[in-house]
Amino acid sequence: MTQSVLVSSDIEIGHHPTFSIGSFTFNSDTVTSTVIAGIIVIALGLMLRRSASAETPGKMQLAWEALVDWVTTEVEANLGKLNPFVIPLAVTLFVFILISNWVEVVPTEHKVPPATADTNLTYALGLVVIIAVQVYAVRERGLGDYAKGFLEPYPVMAPLTILEELIKPFTLALRLFGNIFAGGIMLLIIGLLPAYLTPLPTVPWKLFGMAIGVIQAFIFALLTILYFGMAAQGHGGGHDEAPAKEHEPELQPA
Amino acid sequence: MIPSIILAAAEEGGSEEKNNFLVPNATFLFELVSFAIILFVLWKWILPPINNAMTERQNKIKAQFEEAEKLKAEAQAAEAENQSQLAEARAEASRIREEAREQGAQIVAQHREQAVVEAERITSAAQAQIEVERAQALAQLKNEVGTIATTLAGRIVGESFDDDERSKRSVDEFIAGLESAPKSEA
Repeated sequence: MTQSVLVSSDIEIGHHPTFSIGSFTFNSDTVTSTVIAGIIVIALGLMLRRSASAETPGKMQLAWEALVDWVTTEVEANLGKLNPFVIPLAVTLFVFILISNWVEVVPTEHKVPPATADTNLTYALGLVVIIAVQVYAVRERGLGDYAKGFLEPYPVMAPLTILEELIKPFTLALRLFGNIFAGGIMLLIIGLLPAYLTPLPTVPWKLFGMAIGVIQAFIFALLTILYFGMAAQGHGGGHDEAPAKEHEPELQPA
Repeated sequence: MIPSIILAAAEEGGSEEKNNFLVPNATFLFELVSFAIILFVLWKWILPPINNAMTERQNKIKAQFEEAEKLKAEAQAAEAENQSQLAEARAEASRIREEAREQGAQIVAQHREQAVVEAERITSAAQAQIEVERAQALAQLKNEVGTIATTLAGRIVGESFDDDERSKRSVDEFIAGLESAPKSEA
């Protein structure tokens, strides 16, 4: 009974322990798990950097290379060329989101929830992506053409096209947040079960959560590339869009 | 258990006002900086060596494939050359064999012809000799038969037909009659 009280009292949707520096409030659990995920990502990268060889690639190197290869292919297909910024951005997004999502698997009694279950992280990622996309669009098409793009196909639709651009970072952020956050809530609810029953649904749910983590990281990275691809071609004309963009509606609901 | 859930719900309701999870707080800035750092580290220090290793290996594999392709083409060319040489050799051999056969046949024919000629020559020579001998025998016979016949006739008749002139004429006539008789028969 004591344990069930402890567990259930943790169910406070979206509550984060906080600390303040001056007038700034920080979510301490999100900061912790971000630092952990960041250290893991960078450590994996540095390990790989040291052992990277052209002769005998290890399994880790092959996994990295598969990711880089996929991102490169997608970028080339959507942007029509290789961009020296978009590829590392998409790779970093994928790896960082994946590791952040997988932090949930480690049983820490909800002390270290995945950082992606906090909108602070997902908004930040969405903002980075959309600013980069808009900068890329201006650079590719020139400021005049970029501004004119909002008036197409009809000037009367300008509010919609502008809104579309503004909504993009929010859809990116909230899709990721919602999926991972929901996984966390599910774990909390499973935690309400009697102690001898909790492992039964926890193990399959965590495995499922890992799969969700991969899919969400994949979607975030892919949509980022697609947004770059759309930015290079202009808004909503529909007649000259890259074929790859047609995949987008299928992925959106996931 | 039920009271505890209610308790949790009550707590949540209380804290929601000052801490809406959809509204970012300063953590947002921390996340922005963190991601920027991670992105920078990966972009500048981690991805280039991975890409280099990958490109290098891909180039190496490509080179190996090209090498293998080249060797294969060379092997195929050599094989084709071998084949053509073999075919040439076969054709040469069969040509020589054919020639030899023709030559053999020619030699045989030649020899046969020679043999036939030789045989004909021998036959004709033999015939000629036989003819000569026959003629000689005939001539000899002609001389002797007359003498023997007159002698025998003389004995039978009891008088000599030594009148050579006459007896010889009659014998000659007789022989001539003999000679002409078989010829007309033949």
